[in-house]
Amino acid sequence: MTDLAPITALGGSLARVQSFGALAIAENADLALASLALRRGAAQPVPMGLSLPGPGLWHAGNGIAAFWTGPGQWMIEAPGRATEDFAAVVKQAAPECSVTEQTDAFTAFEIASTAGAGPILALMAKLVNIDAAAFGPGSATRTGLEHMSVFVIRRAEDRLAVIGMRSAAGSIWHALETAAARLQGD
Amino acid sequence: MLIPHPLLGLRDAQEFTYLGDASLLNRPDGMAEGAAEAFYDYVYLRDNPAGVHRELWFHEQGDRSWLVVTRNTVTHEILGAELARDVALAAKGGAQ
Amino acid sequence: MSRLSGGLIDRSQSLRFRFDGKDYTGHPGDTLASALLAHDVRLMGRSFKYHRPRGPVSAGSEEPNALVELRTGARQEPNTRATMAELYDGLIANSQNRVGSLAFDLLAVNDLAAPFFAAGFYYKTFMWPRAFWEKLYEPLIRRAAGLGSLTHLPDPDDYDKGFLHCDLLVIGGGAAGLAAALTAARAGARVILADEDFRLGGRLMAESHTLNDLPAGDWIAQVQAEFDSLPNLRVMRRTTVFGAFDHGIYGAVERVSDHLATPGGRVRQTLWRITAKRIVLAAGATERHIPFANNDRPGVMLAGAMRTYANRYAVSPANRVAIFTNGDDGHRTALDLIAKGVEIAGVIDTRAGAKALGKYPLFAGAVVSNTKGRLGLKSLEITRDGQSHWIEAGALGVAGGWNPNVHLASHHRGRPVWDESTLAFLPGADLPPGMVVAGAAAGRGTTHQALTSGAEAAVAALAGLGISAALPDLPRAEDAPQAQAAFWHVPGKARAWVDFQNDVTVKDVKLSHQENMVPVEHLKRWTTLGMATDQGKTSNVTALAVMAELTGKTIAQTGTTIFRPPYTGVSLAVLGGGDTGTHFRPRRLTPTHEWAKAQGAVFVEVGQWMRAQYFPRKGETTWRETVDREVLATRAGVGLCDVTTLGKVDVQGADAAEFLNRIYANAMGSLKVGMVRYGLMLREDGHAYDDGTCARLAEDHFVVTTTTAQAGPVYRHMEFARQCLWPELDVQLISTTDAWAQISVAGPNARALLERIVDGFDISNEGFPFMACAEMTVCGGLRARLFRISFSGELAYEIAVPARYGAALMGRMVERGADLGATPYGTEALGVLRIEKGHAAGNELNGQTTALMLGMGKMVSTKKDSIGAVLSRLEGMAAEPRRLVGLVPVDAAEPVTAGAHLFEEGAAQVTETDLGWITSACYSPHLGSAIGLGFLAEGPARMGQVVIAANPLQGQAVRLRVVSPHFIDPEGGRLRD
Repeated sequence: MTDLAPITALGGSLARVQSFGALAIAENADLALASLALRRGAAQPVPMGLSLPGPGLWHAGNGIAAFWTGPGQWMIEAPGRATEDFAAVVKQAAPECSVTEQTDAFTAFEIASTAGAGPILALMAKLVNIDAAAFGPGSATRTGLEHMSVFVIRRAEDRLAVIGMRSAAGSIWHALETAAARLQGD
Repeated sequence: MLIPHPLLGLRDAQEFTYLGDASLLNRPDGMAEGAAEAFYDYVYLRDNPAGVHRELWFHEQGDRSWLVVTRNTVTHEILGAELARDVALAAKGGAQ
Repeated sequence: MSRLSGGLIDRSQSLRFRFDGKDYTGHPGDTLASALLAHDVRLMGRSFKYHRPRGPVSAGSEEPNALVELRTGARQEPNTRATMAELYDGLIANSQNRVGSLAFDLLAVNDLAAPFFAAGFYYKTFMWPRAFWEKLYEPLIRRAAGLGSLTHLPDPDDYDKGFLHCDLLVIGGGAAGLAAALTAARAGARVILADEDFRLGGRLMAESHTLNDLPAGDWIAQVQAEFDSLPNLRVMRRTTVFGAFDHGIYGAVERVSDHLATPGGRVRQTLWRITAKRIVLAAGATERHIPFANNDRPGVMLAGAMRTYANRYAVSPANRVAIFTNGDDGHRTALDLIAKGVEIAGVIDTRAGAKALGKYPLFAGAVVSNTKGRLGLKSLEITRDGQSHWIEAGALGVAGGWNPNVHLASHHRGRPVWDESTLAFLPGADLPPGMVVAGAAAGRGTTHQALTSGAEAAVAALAGLGISAALPDLPRAEDAPQAQAAFWHVPGKARAWVDFQNDVTVKDVKLSHQENMVPVEHLKRWTTLGMATDQGKTSNVTALAVMAELTGKTIAQTGTTIFRPPYTGVSLAVLGGGDTGTHFRPRRLTPTHEWAKAQGAVFVEVGQWMRAQYFPRKGETTWRETVDREVLATRAGVGLCDVTTLGKVDVQGADAAEFLNRIYANAMGSLKVGMVRYGLMLREDGHAYDDGTCARLAEDHFVVTTTTAQAGPVYRHMEFARQCLWPELDVQLISTTDAWAQISVAGPNARALLERIVDGFDISNEGFPFMACAEMTVCGGLRARLFRISFSGELAYEIAVPARYGAALMGRMVERGADLGATPYGTEALGVLRIEKGHAAGNELNGQTTALMLGMGKMVSTKKDSIGAVLSRLEGMAAEPRRLVGLVPVDAAEPVTAGAHLFEEGAAQVTETDLGWITSACYSPHLGSAIGLGFLAEGPARMGQVVIAANPLQGQAVRLRVVSPHFIDPEGGRLRD
C-alpha cells in the first residue's frame, strides 16, 4: 500500500466534525463513490446484491448504497472504503456497464439531528429549494445550494447527507455551518 | 419558474440552463448536398414566437438531462416537458 | 402630550428615543410616528422638490411624507417611514432632505421658485447656456437631489435567505387573512400567513368595530392562540410578500431584527422564496385623500389613519380636529375621536345631503378650500355655495375613499377594473394562476364581508387542491354600506397636492394634459407622480380621476397604470442573499492548495478557482523575479504545476470513439489505445470553441480534457450532443475534473523524476513515447494515470492520482526531485512557458477565432461530419487573412501589450487598415525581452517584417518584428526526447 498520506476535502488529516445545538455536521472522508451507467442493451444490474433505485430515490443494503443520478445512471456509495479502488469492484459486479471512479470527485457531509426531523427540515429550508416535507427517508436528488450543485440524501428522519464537488468543500462547509449556527441561535 | 421534469416532477428553473429553440435537435447532415445552406438555417434562423415555444433546457443542477419544454413565452405557462433524448429518438424513427 | 386612553401600547414600559437631537419617550407598540405625535411633533420631513414642511399622512407602509434617517453610523438607513419604524429603547432618527434644521430649511427657497419646477421642468430648463450644464447645473442638482443620504460605511449585518413550500399562502393578516388562514389551517392544509405589520389584525386594530360585541382584540387573541397550536400553519409577521412571480413563486422579505436596537447575532432580514400551490391575497385597501389648496401641511392626514392613531396608538395629532370627507367613512373618525375625548371642530362633507352620525358640527355640501400654518396646521377655510370662512384646528382628517391593494394581483400584467358602484379599481379576471382575492382588496371591505370572503376564498382555493375545508364560525361584525360621492378634488388656483412625495400637484396634471401627455403611463412619467418610494399608493387613482375630468372621459375609460414587484422597497442587501466578501461566490481549491499556501504561494482567482500564481522564495522582491526563476528552472531542470482545474470528462461506451470523432474537428476515431491526441472543438458556427487532449485508455474508454474556463460549458455541450443530436450512439459521460489531482511534470529532468515515483512501469522514450498514456501505480501501489503531453514544449508529462493524494504526491516529487532542480511553478510561469512554445490558449480561442487563424485549418477533417465543420468552410470564413504569429519588440527594452492592434509602419491607424491584434504577451527570460502572440493578416508572408502595435489609450506605438509563434524549440525535438 502507498505511503502517501491522503488529506480530507477540507484539507485536514482528520475529518472535521462540529455540533450546532441539535445538529451535528461531519465530513465523511471515508466514503467511496463510483458512477454506474447502463450501456445500450445492458440489463439493469444488481451490484453486490443491491437493487438500484428509481428517479429521486436512495437505497442502502449489504454495506453499500446507491442513488439515482440520471436516466440509466446511479452513484454507488461504499462507506469506509475510500482508499480502495472501489470503481474496480463495481466494474467487476457490473462488467457491461460504464463505471467511473468518483470517490474524490465529491466531498460528503453527514448531518445528524438529536431532536428528530424538525432540525433537518429547518436546515433544508435555509439551504435548498426542495420541499422537505416531500423529501422523506430514501429520497435523493441533486439541486442547487448557494450557487453550487450538490446531491442531497435523506438517509433517515434525522439524518441528511450533502454531497458536493470536492474542490468546493470549503464553500459547502461554510454554507452548512452558517445555516446550522443561525438555527441554533433561534 | 418551475419546470415539470418528466421523471422528477416540478423543479426550480434555477437548476437549469437554457439553450434555445428545440429546432436545434434537427441537425442537418454535414456530408450531404446543400449542407452549407442547411447549416446556415440551423445555426442562425429562428422563429422566436410570442406564444407557445418548444425549447431546450439542461438540468445542470439536477440529473443533467436535456429537456424539451413547451412554454408560452408570453404567459410563461409551461404546457409540458419531455426528455430531449426521447424526442430526438422519435424523430430519428424510434428504436434505440 | 396628546395621549388618549386605550390603544395597543404597553404603558408599563417606557422607551427613550431621539429625533433631530431631541430626546423623547414612547412605549412598546408605538411606531416612531405615533410616539412623535404623542409629543405634539407633527413636522417630520421636508418635501422632495419644494422642501415644504410635512408630517405623516398615513399610519402604514403607504406613507409618502414622514421619511427619516433611522439610526446612525454603519446601520443608518435613509428614507425609512416613521410610520413603520417600531419604537425601541435607544432609537435615534433624524429628519432628511433639509439644509439647516427641519423647522428652518434653507432649501425652502425652492418653494418660491415653484413655477420653474412644474412638471416636466427638467425637459425644458437647464438647457442654456450649454456650458453651465456640467459646471453648475449638474453639481447643484446632484447636491439637491434625493431624499436621505447613505452612510458610506460597509453594512455590518448578516442577511439570509430561505425556501418555503405550502398549499396556501395567505397574504395579509387582517380580518380576511385571519379568516382564510384559520379556515385552511383547520382543514389540515400547509398554510403560510404573512403580514408586513408586527401585529396581526390589519384594520381590525385601527377601527373601533366590535366582533361579537367584544373588542376586536379579543377575537384576534383567540385566533392567535389557535394558530399557535396548529403545526401546519406558519405565521410570519414583519414579512412583506413583495412580488408574485411565475408558477406560484412569491418573494417575501422578513424583517427579522430591524425592530431591535442591534441584531445581536441574529440576521437582519431574510429573503424567502415561497412556492405556493394556491394564494389568497387579503392585502386590504389604502385610503385616498382629496386635493385642495395647501392640503399638505403637517397635521393634514388621512381620516382612516387618524382612527389608527387614536384606536391603536392612543394618540391624536391635535386636541382640536376637523374632518373633510366625501362619504360616510370620514364621519367614523369624528365619532372615534369624540369617544376618546378629542374635540371635533367640524366635519366638512362634500355631499349636500349628508347627515351627522353623532354630535359634532356638520358642514354639508361644503369643501375645504385652503389652510394656514406653515410648520403645522392652524386653521382651514371652508367654502360652501361661494361663501368661505375659516375655523381653527390643529389637524384635518381627509377621507377620499379607499383603493383596494390590487398590486400583487397585477404582477402578471392583469388589469384592474374600475367599479363605479364602489368607486374603486378591483382586481380583474386575469389574476396570477392560483390566486384568489378576498376582503377589502377585492372590494369586500366591511368587517363582515372581509371575514366571510376570507373564509370563502380559503375554501375555494383548497377545493382546487382536492382538500375540503369547512367555513368556520365567524364573529358577528358590522356590515354597513359605505355611501360616498365621486368627488375627486377641490378646484382652485393655488397648488393642491396629489402626490406628496414627488411634490406633484393638480396643476401638474393639468400641465401634463396641456402638453398632450394624456395616457396614464405618460401622465405618470411626465409628472413623476407615483414614481417615488411610496409608488403612488395614496395618489395614483386621484390623479387619473383628475385626468379623466380634463379629458371628459370616464375613469373606466382612462384606466390605470399597473404594478410590478416589489410592493414596497426591498434592500439590495437582502436580495444579495447574504454572503459578501470571500464567500460572495463559491471558491474551488485545488488538491495542492494547502501545500502551496504552506510554500508561501501567491494565489489568483481563475473563475471560481484559486490557483497558485507564483511561489516567491526568500530574497525575491518582485513577482517577475519569481516567475523568471520558475520558467528558467523548468526548462533547465524540472518544474511541477497543479493543473487539476482543467476540465476532465470520462467518456465510455461502444460508440465512444465515433462520438468523439463527431465532437472534435480533427480525426479522433483513429486514436489508438494508450495514446493521447490534441483535440480541437468547434462551435457549430465554425469558430474555435475549445481545445484540449483526448486520451484513449481502452477501446471503449477515453478521457477528454478541456480548458479550465470551459470545463462546464464543454461538458454541457457534450451532453447535448449525446442526448439531443446522437441519442442512438452508445456513449456515457461523467465529469472527473475534481476526482483526479493532476500535476504537470515538465523539463529535461521530468522522466528522471517520474522514474523515482512510478512503480516499475516502463516510461523510457521507447516504452512510453510522446503522446502516450497509461494506467499504473505510483509510490508503492497508489493507482495513477500518466499522460505524456506538453503545454510548455519541454519533455513533459501529466500525472493524475485520486485527489486526496495530490498534495502528498506534489510534496513527494519536490522532495525526490531536489537534486534534479524540481521547482513548483504557478499560473504565471505556466503562461510564459506556453507563450514561449507558441501554444494557443484561452486568449487565442476567445470565440472570435477559427482553426484557420490558429494555423490548424488542415486539422478540420473534410472526411467526416463534425460539429462546426460545415460552417467553418463558408466563403467568408475561408477568406479570413489573419494568422497566428509571434511578435518581439525591435528594441528589446520595449513592451508587448496584449490587446494592442497591429498596423503597417506609417499607416493611418483606423479600422480599415487594422491588420490584427495581440492576444497574449509576457516577458521571456529565455529571449531576454517581452514576447507576444497575435493574429496578423497574411502573417506567414510577413515573417521578419516590422509592424506597429498601437495602444492609443496609453499613447503607445511599439515597433514589433513578426516571427514564428514557436520561440522555443520550433522543431519540437524536446517533446520527443
